[in-house]
Amino acid sequence: MTKLGQWLCGLALLGSAWAALALAPPGLQVPTPLRQALLPLPVYLLVAFGCYSLATVGYRLATFNDCEEAAAELQEHIRAARADLARRGLRFGPQ
Amino acid sequence: MATATDQLVGFGLVAFSLVLFVYYTLWIIVLPFIDSDHGIHQYFLAREYAVIIPVVAGLLLLLFIGVFIMIVMWKSRKPAKKSD
Repeated sequence: MTKLGQWLCGLALLGSAWAALALAPPGLQVPTPLRQALLPLPVYLLVAFGCYSLATVGYRLATFNDCEEAAAELQEHIRAARADLARRGLRFGPQ
Repeated sequence: MATATDQLVGFGLVAFSLVLFVYYTLWIIVLPFIDSDHGIHQYFLAREYAVIIPVVAGLLLLLFIGVFIMIVMWKSRKPAKKSD
């Protein structure tokens, strides 16, 4: 089964469990505070996932490090390439 | 090291999402189990808004994304060929 199929099966399982409890079929007594907390659960999970995504993006933005050696190496490559091409006759416009 | 602005924005996002998560968790999950005469209920709106506000925010987000895509596609269209 593909990954998409697995995710859809999991979602269908959780969705039907939530619907079974939330739509109050006759013969099932759920205590009132629990039911009140259960009904908005899909929206809550969506908002929680959004908060997690935002926090991850923010954290990775704040802790992203410069790569000094890679930058210096890249500048060296550029310089060598320009010298090589100039030697072969390519004229460079204003930098 | 990321620049100071990057660090400020990044950790600001982390703090904001943490506050939002805690507030929303309290609102949705904790509040139903607290008696209605407790003082904490005054800091939260009625329960319907806990669903309406995220749904409306999500729709606004989709709207902005759609408008952005529309603008970008409009700006990048090539001039039509003249026909006779």
